[in-house]
Amino acid sequence: MLSKKKNENDTNQWIDKDLPQVGELSKIDAWWGLVLIVLISIILLLVLKPDPFSRILDYVSDGIIVTLEVTVFSFIFTMVLGLFCGLGRVSTNKIIYGLVSIYVEIIRGIPLLVQLLVWYFAFPAVVINIGKSMHYEPFENYLANPVAMAIIGISICYAAYMAEIVRAGIESLPAGQMEAARSLGMSKSQAMQHIILPQAYRTIMPAVGNEFISLLKDSSLVSVVAVADLTRRGREFMSTTFMPIETWLMVALLYLLMTLISARLVKILENKSKMGGR
Amino acid sequence: MEEPIISIRNVYKYYKDDIQALRGVSLDVYKGEVVMIIGPSGSGKSTLLRSINNLEDIDFGEIIVDGLSVKDHKDINKLRMEVGMVFQQFNLFPHLSVLDNVMLAQKIVRKRSQKEAYETAMLLLEKVGIPDKASAYPLQLSGGQQQRVAIARALAMNPKIMLFDEPTSALDPEMIQEVLEVMIQLAKEGMTMVVVSHEMGFARAAADRCILMDEGKIVEEAPKDELFRNPKEERTKLFLSKIL
Repeated sequence: MLSKKKNENDTNQWIDKDLPQVGELSKIDAWWGLVLIVLISIILLLVLKPDPFSRILDYVSDGIIVTLEVTVFSFIFTMVLGLFCGLGRVSTNKIIYGLVSIYVEIIRGIPLLVQLLVWYFAFPAVVINIGKSMHYEPFENYLANPVAMAIIGISICYAAYMAEIVRAGIESLPAGQMEAARSLGMSKSQAMQHIILPQAYRTIMPAVGNEFISLLKDSSLVSVVAVADLTRRGREFMSTTFMPIETWLMVALLYLLMTLISARLVKILENKSKMGGR
Repeated sequence: MEEPIISIRNVYKYYKDDIQALRGVSLDVYKGEVVMIIGPSGSGKSTLLRSINNLEDIDFGEIIVDGLSVKDHKDINKLRMEVGMVFQQFNLFPHLSVLDNVMLAQKIVRKRSQKEAYETAMLLLEKVGIPDKASAYPLQLSGGQQQRVAIARALAMNPKIMLFDEPTSALDPEMIQEVLEVMIQLAKEGMTMVVVSHEMGFARAAADRCILMDEGKIVEEAPKDELFRNPKEERTKLFLSKIL
């Protein structure tokens, strides 16, 4: 009886998702409406008060590019590293499991801002010291690239969280899926590739989307390690013009526009992944 | 004397906290034989079945399946290719169509071509009576249909042995028959089968031998369905009085 109930739940999980839901459609429209409102607000500010808003946008526009660049590259590395670490977290190999677990626990216990400071300030100092003691010139003259360090720092931090999402996604599947695959003679990696991960992928899509949006927002932290992102460009503009209200209003609206559009794109991807299975 | 295709020798299995699942089980199954295992829950019958294709590791003893040991983990996928398994919960892959469920392992384990895998799959779906559901997804099917797909999926690997782990226990009563019919047909075709089930109808129609397990041991063994009709041991009588 109990097992039958469980099975019915599974059924719902797979069928409900694929039915187009009336409520959801109107929700999508409402959300695009919000995007539109933000966009219109920005345009109105630019048109009605080109000074200073147009100047601000001009000034910070290269920062937007940097923010997107840091976000997208960090996210790609996060996905790759997070997938492998997630697999490590479900590994039966004790050494792999142990190493990955230590990594995840350490990273999740340290604030991202501190990690970024370590990568930008402490890491190059270590390299230079090593270079000096070994008289190895390239190391002695090592100069950290702020954007590269920021991407490394964010990726390594976010991958630890991503690993837990991947692990939860894999563990959410019934043990019978792996058993059925193995009983057909599939190796563990074949079963992962063809049976477990495609199913886990659908379960974790929403969480992965949320991570992308968090990452986009957290990328503003890189402004303290010499990366000229949107936040840093905003701060520079404010300190030369002393217009905090206008500057941060503009910056906040730009972030909001980016996160709202991302949320929409994530949702579209999510729906697409559900349709794909049918 | 012919070599048994499954040879189970003095097998012990412990779970954590010292619960003994199997306590010295020995059993030979010969080619073409249909062996049915019954017993109360926790008697170790499913554990024994799952040990045959190494879904469970055994702690002591030996199981040889068609010349391969379950303890030889290097060859375990080779062993599993020859041993089909059908589960209580069907365990179909919900993200794949019925056809892909039956084709996938053929392609990636048996390395068959798309065409060959497709033809085998369609043949088997016809055999289990649902070729029209080939493009459906598992969860759009009834329990009985799902279980028949699961049987087709296992058969697609051309196994020498089929294991059934309570194949009808999760089914509504009116669907049990359609699954049993497929199993009886399979038995008639000479498939070697080990079936954990309490379906007396199957025992009557197809079993060569029935075995009662209790507390990790084999209690009684009898040819055909005699175990049901004419139990010798007190333990067997007691158990049958509860399920019949």
